[in-house]
Amino acid sequence: MVTNSMEPERALLERKVRKSFQVLILQRGRNPGVKGWEMKRHLGKDYKKILEVLSEDIAPMGLEVYQVKGADGSDDSTRYMLRFKEPPSLSEAETAGIRIDDLAVLASSIAFINSKQGRVGRRELEQFLREKFPKWRVEYSVDRYVKRGYIDQDDKSLLRIGWRTRAEIDERTLMTLILSRSGEIPSS
Amino acid sequence: MANKRLEDILRLIALLQDVQHSSANPFDVDILDKILVLKKHLPDWEFLDDLLLDSQALVELSQVVKLQDQWLKHRASSLYIDPLLVQLKVKLLPKNELAAAFVKSWHPLAQIDQLSPQGLERAFVYWRDLAPMSERFKDQFGSYGTRPGIVDYQDLVDLKIFTQDQFETRLNSIDDELKLKSGEEWIDYRDFVKGKSVDETILRSYILAFLISEGRAVIQIDPLSNKISVAWVNGKATGEAKSVAIPVGDQ
Repeated sequence: MVTNSMEPERALLERKVRKSFQVLILQRGRNPGVKGWEMKRHLGKDYKKILEVLSEDIAPMGLEVYQVKGADGSDDSTRYMLRFKEPPSLSEAETAGIRIDDLAVLASSIAFINSKQGRVGRRELEQFLREKFPKWRVEYSVDRYVKRGYIDQDDKSLLRIGWRTRAEIDERTLMTLILSRSGEIPSS
Repeated sequence: MANKRLEDILRLIALLQDVQHSSANPFDVDILDKILVLKKHLPDWEFLDDLLLDSQALVELSQVVKLQDQWLKHRASSLYIDPLLVQLKVKLLPKNELAAAFVKSWHPLAQIDQLSPQGLERAFVYWRDLAPMSERFKDQFGSYGTRPGIVDYQDLVDLKIFTQDQFETRLNSIDDELKLKSGEEWIDYRDFVKGKSVDETILRSYILAFLISEGRAVIQIDPLSNKISVAWVNGKATGEAKSVAIPVGDQ
């Protein structure tokens, strides 16, 4: 009898979890992820619980539901997205068509911006990167990362860490890894 | 004195804006000192514009205080590392090491970027109802211009740049002038077409091109010196016709 009364609730929950996966996996608009207010519209006010269930369900597939707080810190502006639970290997990243040079430029940019208290002039960053990478690649890459949301640029060309970096990159791990690796001092 | 006060406050606003829009240390600004400056000038402001500047300076000051707060939080977090150390590390590390560090801290987003049946239907309806380019912006901009091409005499008449009579008159007058100056001898092309203004030079070149096309004048270009010469022809020029482009108007 108890089982019978639980059936409709369980079916509803499963339907909502399925729906939440579909909402998160399909890209809407330019930026990935779905904001809190949209989630509420699709799933109802208990959307956070449904997302927790979804996160557990997709864990065996190596995915997780991740949230990034919006500028005002409210639930409505929080962005939810699906991301890899574990980082890929370098060869997997290369197989996906991502160049090592591009990754190195992005890693250097994030490290440099973080070392400058999270904001730096674009010219200053480009000057720093040009010491290691060719000029054409620096300009092209910075433009691309601004467009993709990894770096945020304001109207005064001041750069900050973008929402996508917050979503995809564990900045603390990145900084630790960069500092712990030993590079050779080039002979002059 | 009033000018000095105004200059003080404008300089203060500029300084505060500079700090906000650069990576400068916000603690370089002595907030208390700046507030005292504003306090000192406040009783002397007479006009609304001055008071507005005063409040703008206060807003900018509050933004710098906010930056100081963020700066402190960042510095207190484990993300803060001495910039020189980070720069040195990044410079020394090979690219593949940097890329490896990035990948180890990277959790790529998972998403499907594909068209749904509903999206496909919307796209079809949009495309079906979309007016052709030639019709689309007619209301705002009129009809589209033509592609680059040749403007002939009839086009100029149609555009009302010339009337038939004016053109014939100018054509004959240039013909007479060339006959007078050249007399079947070679003369410098640029000297001949040069008018009092760029517009006139272009007009003279255009009309001379007509005379040459009709065989009433001939043109020659010395490939070594690039000197262009023109000569009037008695009767009609014979020989193989060849099209040459000569830039005018910027000489």
